[in-house]
Amino acid sequence: MSGPQPLPGNLPGSLPGKGDDGTTGHFHTDGDQTWHRVHPVSPLVRSWVAIAAVLFIFGRNTLDTLFTRGPNGPALSNAPAALILAVVASVVLVFGLAFFLSWRFTRYQVTDHHVHINSGVIFRQQRRARIDRVQAIDVVQPLLARVFGLAELKFDVADGGKSAFKLSFLKLEEAKRLRAAILARAAGVAVDPNAPSDVAEAPETPILALSPARIIGSVMFGSLTVTTVVTLAAVTALAIWSGEIGVFFACIPVLLGLVAAYWKAITGDFNFRVALSPDGVRLHYGMLETRAQTIPPGRVQAVGISQGPLWRPFGWYRVHVNVAGYGHDNSDHGSRTVLLPAGTIDEVMAVLALVFPDPGVENPFEVFAAGLRGPANKHGFVHSPRSAIWIDPLAWRYNAYRATATALLCRHGIIFRRLQVVPHERTQSISLRQGPLMAMLGLVDFELHSTVGPIRPVVHHMALDTGRRLFDEQATRAATARRLQRNEHWLTQAAAAPEPAAGELAPIDQQPILKEEHRGD
Amino acid sequence: MPKTSSVHGSAIDPVDVTFLPVSDKLMIARFIERGLTGLIILAIGAIPLLLRQSGVWGGYPAWLAWGVPALILVIVLWVLVLVPRQVRAIGYAERNEDLLIRHGIMFHRVMVVPYGRMQYVDVTMGPLERLLGLSSIHLHTASPGTNAIIFGLPAAEAGRLREQLSARGEAKLAGL
Repeated sequence: MSGPQPLPGNLPGSLPGKGDDGTTGHFHTDGDQTWHRVHPVSPLVRSWVAIAAVLFIFGRNTLDTLFTRGPNGPALSNAPAALILAVVASVVLVFGLAFFLSWRFTRYQVTDHHVHINSGVIFRQQRRARIDRVQAIDVVQPLLARVFGLAELKFDVADGGKSAFKLSFLKLEEAKRLRAAILARAAGVAVDPNAPSDVAEAPETPILALSPARIIGSVMFGSLTVTTVVTLAAVTALAIWSGEIGVFFACIPVLLGLVAAYWKAITGDFNFRVALSPDGVRLHYGMLETRAQTIPPGRVQAVGISQGPLWRPFGWYRVHVNVAGYGHDNSDHGSRTVLLPAGTIDEVMAVLALVFPDPGVENPFEVFAAGLRGPANKHGFVHSPRSAIWIDPLAWRYNAYRATATALLCRHGIIFRRLQVVPHERTQSISLRQGPLMAMLGLVDFELHSTVGPIRPVVHHMALDTGRRLFDEQATRAATARRLQRNEHWLTQAAAAPEPAAGELAPIDQQPILKEEHRGD
Repeated sequence: MPKTSSVHGSAIDPVDVTFLPVSDKLMIARFIERGLTGLIILAIGAIPLLLRQSGVWGGYPAWLAWGVPALILVIVLWVLVLVPRQVRAIGYAERNEDLLIRHGIMFHRVMVVPYGRMQYVDVTMGPLERLLGLSSIHLHTASPGTNAIIFGLPAAEAGRLREQLSARGEAKLAGL
């Protein structure tokens, strides 16, 4: 297979004049005419299941005929050799051609502002992603891709498209370099001739790693085990009631499904590591299929920390995030929204510090711990009034909120405990709700709207005047935070790249919008 | 247009905000809409009664044959009676930073949508609305939870509001 374009193993062609030195370590953006291809083995890696299935069926049939031919006489005796060969050849040809075409028609290009991906043989697809709208990037390596040293680059964009952009497959280093390049541009750091190494893979600082015991333990004491116990109990009860031992055999598929679920849960989160790089928070996880997920700073829209009753003795918490773009993608069963599958309170705090560097209080540990444990009005939390006892007989002292200088904390529940944290500048819109029962008790629900994701922040059953005050204050806080955020970004950007921004201090009304565009969200 | 006094008030409304009401013609639209829907449901519910009265099929208890349409009728009438109250409960207010929208009386909701958060604004007009010269305006943010629709705006007011919202949205646009 030979194409006129350079193979992706090579460095992407560079535009003359971009960047001042031609060392192979860093990345140049492409011009209009420069296109790259993914790795030629990609279609093979992508569709290995289909190939394996064909091989399996075909191989089994061939073996069948080979074995049955002996006793049954010459049923197909004369034709097979040529026929089999012809079939094999045509299958190889068809697959080969399909693979070649799909490889040939998949092209990508990274310009200064956009990533273009063209694909499809019959139904052509041309997609374009604005780099400054990139929300998060994953480098995924399925098992077979790891064998070949390949990786899939997958990124989510905030505007429009429902599904993530995928480049599968690239060589691992190429994927990493593309990631670094896209992230650097998303962060608003234009190609900086003084420090080209910025665009190379940013170094990581390991923050924490979860031991295999933790992952296995968290799965064993999770909802899956509850399901298993209930299933086993039901099956046993059924067997005793009917007196048929065959019930157990009938349930083997269900049990296999449970085993598979355990396997998936354990291997999926295995070797979970959190690291910090200048690009953002980086999560590594997976046993067979490994994934490196990057969430740039400021892309986290909301955080949810939760703990079920089985985890309480161990003091483990799970941390979820809302990131714009993750919500649309259900292909990974929501595992991408997990920031920490099972962590102690210290680990939770460490991870929170990464995504919210400024908690807005002087004693963040105490406040967040109060938010995770409850009850009552300690550390500035305000819980539901006594009248809420009619609706929440157990949890009314646990349902609470606390507004810090930078975020709103919403605490929920007594058995399943949850804490939702939404930074003020990420508030989309807010609302107050009241039904007839709540009106009778003088209560009100306060809702914060975040982007699509597992966290839907809400403060349940506040006293009427508390809720109204929260509503008014939160609207003001969100507005203030939005204004501050613009200025802050503008400053950080001015610090990062002083040349382009130096003379533009004055027109603060228009400038932030422009900067916002560069900085993304 | 701004007959501010006619907007129905409630306990959770923010203080010192005057809500603008939507057009009273929305009542007509809703009467027609809900009346027709009610009639159709009533007609379906009355089929057993008709069959029974016309003697085609009588294997149906009389109380059920009369009871079902009667119940449907009561519900439809109740829904229609509520329409004026509901329409008067819809209100919106433009503030400096955000748009306030309120809905409902029994199930009451007040929402704040900051201008800087609006991704786009939809103005729609159905056939019935067109007849009455009304429009609906739908505000979208990055969150699906923002279910901000104002029904029954006079077309001119909807146009003005859209322009106003777009202009303010652009001026205050913030990242996600």
